[in-house]
Amino acid sequence: MNVNQLIYRNLKNNLKNYYLYVFALIFSISIYFAFVTLQYDASMDPATGTIKGQAAVRAGTIVLILIVGVFLIYANNLFIKRRSNEIALFQLIGMTKGKVFRLLTIENLILYLVSLAIGIGVGFSISKLMVMIVYKLTDVTDIATMHFSTEALSQTLIVFGVIYLFIMLVNSLFIKKENILSLFTIQQSAEIKVKKLSIIQVLLGLLGIGLIIAGYVVSQQLFSGNFTTVNELFSAMGFILMAVIFGTYLFYKGSVTFVLQLIRKSHKGYLSINQVLSLSSVMFRMKSNALLLTIITTVSALAIGLLSLSYISYYSAEKQAENFVINDFSLVNEESYKQFTSILEENNIDYQVNQIEVFNVELDASQIMDFNFEEDSSVTMNPSELQLPIISDESIEGIDVDENHFLLSGYSDFLQRFMSFKNSGKATIKTENDEFSMKFLGLNREYYVSSYFTNGGGMPIAIVDEEKYQQLKVDLDPELQHRSQDAGAITFRGVDVSERDIEKANELFLTEEIDRWAGNDSQQNMARNQKMNMGLIMFIVGFLGLTFLVTSGCILYFKQMDESEIEKPSYTILRKLGFTQRDLIKGIQLKQSFNFGIPLFVGLLHSYFAVQSGWFFFGTEVWTPMLIVMSLYAVLYSLFGLLSVLYYKKIIQEAL
Amino acid sequence: MHLLKAQKIYKSFGNKFNRTEVLKGIDFTIDQGEFVTIMGPSGSGKTTLLNVLSSIDQASHGTITIDGHIITNMKSKKLAEFRKHHLGFIFQEYNLLDTLTVKENILLPLSIQKVSKQQANERFDLAAKELGIYDQRNKYPSEISGGQKQRTSAARAFIHQPSIIFADEPTGALDSKAASSLLNKMVEMNEKHEATILMVTHDPVAASYSDRVVLLKDGEVYSQLYKGDEDQQLFFKDIVKTQGVLGGVQHER
Repeated sequence: MNVNQLIYRNLKNNLKNYYLYVFALIFSISIYFAFVTLQYDASMDPATGTIKGQAAVRAGTIVLILIVGVFLIYANNLFIKRRSNEIALFQLIGMTKGKVFRLLTIENLILYLVSLAIGIGVGFSISKLMVMIVYKLTDVTDIATMHFSTEALSQTLIVFGVIYLFIMLVNSLFIKKENILSLFTIQQSAEIKVKKLSIIQVLLGLLGIGLIIAGYVVSQQLFSGNFTTVNELFSAMGFILMAVIFGTYLFYKGSVTFVLQLIRKSHKGYLSINQVLSLSSVMFRMKSNALLLTIITTVSALAIGLLSLSYISYYSAEKQAENFVINDFSLVNEESYKQFTSILEENNIDYQVNQIEVFNVELDASQIMDFNFEEDSSVTMNPSELQLPIISDESIEGIDVDENHFLLSGYSDFLQRFMSFKNSGKATIKTENDEFSMKFLGLNREYYVSSYFTNGGGMPIAIVDEEKYQQLKVDLDPELQHRSQDAGAITFRGVDVSERDIEKANELFLTEEIDRWAGNDSQQNMARNQKMNMGLIMFIVGFLGLTFLVTSGCILYFKQMDESEIEKPSYTILRKLGFTQRDLIKGIQLKQSFNFGIPLFVGLLHSYFAVQSGWFFFGTEVWTPMLIVMSLYAVLYSLFGLLSVLYYKKIIQEAL
Repeated sequence: MHLLKAQKIYKSFGNKFNRTEVLKGIDFTIDQGEFVTIMGPSGSGKTTLLNVLSSIDQASHGTITIDGHIITNMKSKKLAEFRKHHLGFIFQEYNLLDTLTVKENILLPLSIQKVSKQQANERFDLAAKELGIYDQRNKYPSEISGGQKQRTSAARAFIHQPSIIFADEPTGALDSKAASSLLNKMVEMNEKHEATILMVTHDPVAASYSDRVVLLKDGEVYSQLYKGDEDQQLFFKDIVKTQGVLGGVQHER
């Protein structure tokens, strides 16, 4: 048999074993190529394109290279160790190290070239799909065109060429370093020593769980007002990161073993087959992969968290625009109102107007609210001198406030984190020369005027009786009023048009530049902008997350392949003892649900707490978007668990 | 009463054109409570015979009956069920699961049968004490000696009171002291509990512990030696002598 035949045989064998590796390689190349194509797509051009996001996409490709590079190098390390026996054998029969290295190089080159060809082909064909997804997400109505970008091609070839060269360098170092004897023993040395649980391990295990819980608890208090200065906030964030990451590591290193040991102990040595295959194996082997699992868990949590947050933002775009703009269009001065309505009339568009007069007062709210930043000198707000916009109950249908009473409205989860109002109490409204003691009726959720009046949506609005309103208006404090106005009350004008006219009206709003006055806004436009920004971020984070998911899933799968080889003798014993293949596979299923389920569960839990701690900065709805993202991730991740069960099935079949 | 009865066992490996016959029509019986050893030079087919008799391998021809069950035409699932209840195994390389403690390893066969926890514990105490590994019950296999491992393996084979125990070179990896200790325990179990044992070995010392030695040569039964009323020493000499003849024949041209 000559060298060429040897290479051919090796390739054929390896393809059968490592089809998932080849798949991951092709997948990475396709995604990378598609991403780079997207980067060079005309629609991404910062000057002329419809989507302004080239920089974001480029940053995405760099992260993509990182993920893919680390994955390929790690996978290569796993494989070369698996093949150390073979390498030693070649040297034993007289091949030089150089020749063995050449063998590996050619083998890998063929693998890479084929994968590159397929990957670029697939990448090219999905690039149109990707552009279409971007358009869909960012609400752009262009038609996606497909064109082959030579820049993308050369960039892909260069990147994967460099990765290939680097891997070859690693391989040559490995072959140079190891002698024949050590090569033969590498696989055995990878096996773990099974020992009894030590006290230190128990302590570390408890510490791990404790650290994670501590991190979670602090994360939930992060924005609830317990950390009042910026410094404290940052040190709290630092603590959370440290505690959770280190806790995760200890969790894999000790806690899993410890908890499983407790379960095992309770059976007093009488284990069922399912427990034999799952508990006893997982508890010893998970420990040796602690670092890897920590990285996978942390990055997955990051990916899920970011994706959830950007989806929350995307998902809440319309609701948020509604809260901020109130009507289809909001106009804040007479001039723009006249111009816009006359344009609408010219174009035969029917409209309805909703007018609310607003001015600002000072409120001494120290008795009805808990202000969470009291001690922070950097925040100048003072609950006894709160500036609030005020409107009359006449302006709003269905609300009638008694004299000497007032209601607050327009509250968000975000607002609630920083200042919370009591359900009732007394407060004093101050005008320039007078003070009125009023009874507080409570806080409503609804928004009545656009965010222009409420400090960018950051403040609620006060509603009082019409008579009181007029009384206050006479004596308003000019210094509190909007700067752009001549120190008087201003009128919020919301314009609504019918569903079928909205597109046209919005177009007119933009072409006539009605938004050149600060405070004028179009609801549709605002939602669209938000969606465009968030859609692109979501797209990039989503694909990066997907790539990470595939690569980390592959690594866990490869680890399981190794484990199944190591445990094969056990399956032989068990089958000789009279356990059927079905019995064993049931146990393996349980084991894999641990092996894949624990990292998944911990990752989901991490991201859940991360999202819970700060989602209100991003939008108005948390559960639906978060659950959608999480379940999608869980389903895709489980696929790798299923694949590994299938692999075990094969091993068990061969075991007897 | 024959516990195990094998009739005209043939076993061959390879394909139609290149066939190696390993077992060439072996007739063979074991009585209830007997301790039988199979011996023979390398390549005589002793391990193959053991595998075939213990249902791990399938015979090409012939019928095997154990305890009234004909195992040669059973489906693989039924065979697994049969092994579970009727057979026990001791192997040369211990074959313990290294992630389980000694006790868990021994109780393994009981966990597939519906034996109550209490009863399982009682049986474990009995077997472990008899084989002298009770004090090691909470250790892992990597923490005990080879002899203790093999006795653990033996305890696992005895625990579910199988119809017959198959032992493949059980002393192969042990030093002479550990080996004799194990064999003494096996004899004890054989006499006390009437356990039927079939052992394969190439060590005449180990063979001399049993009641009967079957010598194989080239896939056929060459000769059988009965211990009868002889003591172990004499029986050992007989075995060595016969083995010598066997070896001599082999090298004769």
